[in-house]
Amino acid sequence: MASMPPDVVRYPLHRTTLANGLQVVVSPDPSVPVVAVNLWFDVGSRDEQPGRTGLAHLFEHLMFEGSAQVAAGEHLAAVQAVGGSANATTWFDRTNYFETVPTGALDLALWLEAERLGSLRLTQETLDNQRDVVMEEKRQRYDNVPYGDVLIHLVELTFPADHPYGHPTIGSMADLVAADLADVRSFFATHYAPDNAVLTLVGDVDPADAVARVERTLGRLPAAGRPRRSPTPGLPPLAGVPRREVAARVPSDAAYLAWRLPARDSRHFDAAELALAVLGGGQTSRLHRRLVRTDEVAEGAGASATGLIAGTSTGFAHARALPGVAAEALEEAMLAEVTRLVDEGPEPAEVDRAKAQFEREWLSDLARLDSRADLFGCYATLHGDPGEVNERLDQVRSIEPDAVAAAARMYLRPEQRAVLTYRKER
Amino acid sequence: MSRPVVGAPRVWQFPEPERRTLDNGLRLLAFHRPGQHLLNATLVVDQPLVSEPRALEGVSSMILRVLDEGTRSHPGTDFADAVEGCGAVLHGGTSQSAAHLSIEVPVTRLDAALPLLAEVVREPQLSDDDVRRQVELRLAEIAQHRAHPAHRGGQEFRAAVIDGAFRASRSAAGEADTVAAISGEAVRTAHADQYRPDASTLVLAGDLPADLLGRVDRAFAGWRSTGSGAVQHESPLAAPPRCLLVHRSGAVQADVRLGSFGVDRSHPDWPALRLGTFVLGGGFLSRLNRVLREERGYTYGVQLTNVPARHGGLLSLHASFRTEVAAAAISEATDLLVTDGDRGITRPELTDAVNYLVGVAPLRCATAAGIVDQASALVEVGLDQSFVNRHTAELLRISPDQATDAVQRLLPLGALTLVVVGDADVLAEPLRAQGFDPQVVVDD
Repeated sequence: MASMPPDVVRYPLHRTTLANGLQVVVSPDPSVPVVAVNLWFDVGSRDEQPGRTGLAHLFEHLMFEGSAQVAAGEHLAAVQAVGGSANATTWFDRTNYFETVPTGALDLALWLEAERLGSLRLTQETLDNQRDVVMEEKRQRYDNVPYGDVLIHLVELTFPADHPYGHPTIGSMADLVAADLADVRSFFATHYAPDNAVLTLVGDVDPADAVARVERTLGRLPAAGRPRRSPTPGLPPLAGVPRREVAARVPSDAAYLAWRLPARDSRHFDAAELALAVLGGGQTSRLHRRLVRTDEVAEGAGASATGLIAGTSTGFAHARALPGVAAEALEEAMLAEVTRLVDEGPEPAEVDRAKAQFEREWLSDLARLDSRADLFGCYATLHGDPGEVNERLDQVRSIEPDAVAAAARMYLRPEQRAVLTYRKER
Repeated sequence: MSRPVVGAPRVWQFPEPERRTLDNGLRLLAFHRPGQHLLNATLVVDQPLVSEPRALEGVSSMILRVLDEGTRSHPGTDFADAVEGCGAVLHGGTSQSAAHLSIEVPVTRLDAALPLLAEVVREPQLSDDDVRRQVELRLAEIAQHRAHPAHRGGQEFRAAVIDGAFRASRSAAGEADTVAAISGEAVRTAHADQYRPDASTLVLAGDLPADLLGRVDRAFAGWRSTGSGAVQHESPLAAPPRCLLVHRSGAVQADVRLGSFGVDRSHPDWPALRLGTFVLGGGFLSRLNRVLREERGYTYGVQLTNVPARHGGLLSLHASFRTEVAAAAISEATDLLVTDGDRGITRPELTDAVNYLVGVAPLRCATAAGIVDQASALVEVGLDQSFVNRHTAELLRISPDQATDAVQRLLPLGALTLVVVGDADVLAEPLRAQGFDPQVVVDD
């Protein structure tokens, strides 16, 4: 197989930590007159308290509702009005906020971030309004589409209810209704501070000049003291094949398998991810060949891993039935392929394909300035070193088929699975 | 600290590609983008769906679905093994006017990937068995899409807004009755007729090697035309306005589309219309989103969008409102679209819209994939690559009155089509109370 020249995806990196604890990563790229500004806050749904789920995601909304010198909604509107884009997302392990702007608007983007971090306006009015918006988001994305609640069920099957990953990021609507202004203010004070964040700039900037601009804006905010987390040890594999069946108005039956995997910062996780790619990544995968092409029981089938940092990640396999095929038939065929992979391991050519596909997907993530910045923020926040982004291709390339076989045997055994099925209501 | 002053953006121009035409008539557009480690290539085949037999609609889309199921040189699953083994991925799609087949691969694997792209259009197997299986998969997909409110709403809106005499009023990938009739023979015939180098353009971008054109030539030179005749496109017309309520029992939201048959990029009103729709429903604090999301909390978001085709386009508001407030929300949305009298588009609104539309262009074109998407979209509708820079210059010349006027003419408030996908048992009465007269559609 052809290989990349070793330095071809080595992006320049300049790291510094400001006096207030804000970590700053700058990676210059002059190819277009644009800069991506990306802030990772080390807070996700795993940091929510029982009875107050959904707060991390609610903040993703509230952070756009104005501050001392910025009106509600104006953050986004001001960025758009200079030809930029802005957004935010929430996940189990983080909340990220980002703007991509013409380089002349870098100061504006940094100022807007400093404004809301320093003086976010939290009022009953915006809390009520954004709570309504979040409820519409949940209806639109989870409740009103076929199979929309799949992630909620899989999370609940894979983790104990009191585990940090035991509830989905959208949270409980009852919890959201119960949250009051004091809860929201306390969450902000605990988690939103410069020393709990990584700021990444990627684009047409000079590192020293960029850091000076950050100093003048976000550098003025006080540190708050990083919140402490109690350690979360890795969970043992699932036992007893936990199972949930959902009867719903879906067009056809579907089946999902779930496993617990090691944390995302381990080679075992990378090997398990490659094993899941052999099982269910792309048209050449075993699940696609068996269920879609040979048995013709499914309209689609696949598998993938979701990397999480706190001790335990997840791996899922899925298949959606062709009309008239029952979920049991899907599960049986999926299980046969899982068993074969665990018993016999992958062919070397399958592992090569999985690595080649990983490489393309990784390069695709790095191609965009905004997603490249997000990767630096991710590795700085969760892995402690943004430089790992430059090592990642070599790390994955060096995993041998034996390690993939061992990961399948260790983490993907049929008896270590959970099962979710959707049954079409007649 | 007070709000920083924003520096003027650096002037940016859409890059000029290197252009060639091979001896077999295949046109090439190559964009050299240093630092882009992925090669993106899209082959656009001029393939108006109006040429499909009425009883076999979807056959053009079916070609693309079966194309990568094996070639003469790489029979059956050997082909997918070869593609994925070199780290490439293939995607295909069909619009009303063209088929497009895209490959993405690390530039270092170009020599393995380019011949595979050529092979898949030159010598696909298109076997009866693969076609039969893909027909079943497409039928299952149709059932999935019908059950999905946003898919269903889009489909119903297209069918309601475009005159049913035109192919463009129906799904590009065909509907259940016509898809079920597609045979291997029909797919092979359509492929021989439509996949012609002299009706195709290959758009490439990435950190390209110096001898790229020679490599492309070697890969594609053996591709010969088996079809003939000029390619004819249709110019669809609008249907009369309608009001449809598609019943989805128990739905907690109503998926709403409100709009009209719009215009394409060649229309003189295109720049003014893009700006006007951005002011009304494009930005986060657009007139629609500011009220319906940020003040009322009726929806996760509301947009007014233009989807231009080769001839004409779709202009529509789209939002999901919770069922209890949907009728009131639609009524309020209609009111927010009014631009008469002192509600015309203002200079500050227009300035923000111009800055946004002009400013995001370099970001969208920052990657090889972004450049190829933009360039191939223009090829697909028969426009030259110079369109982007010309359009940018036009945006800067539009006045607030021109934007207001374009919206008023192209989004005529008394004559819009409304499509609601939701629980008709709950929605019909409130909609009537708001002055709408919906025709209720109930599936068998």
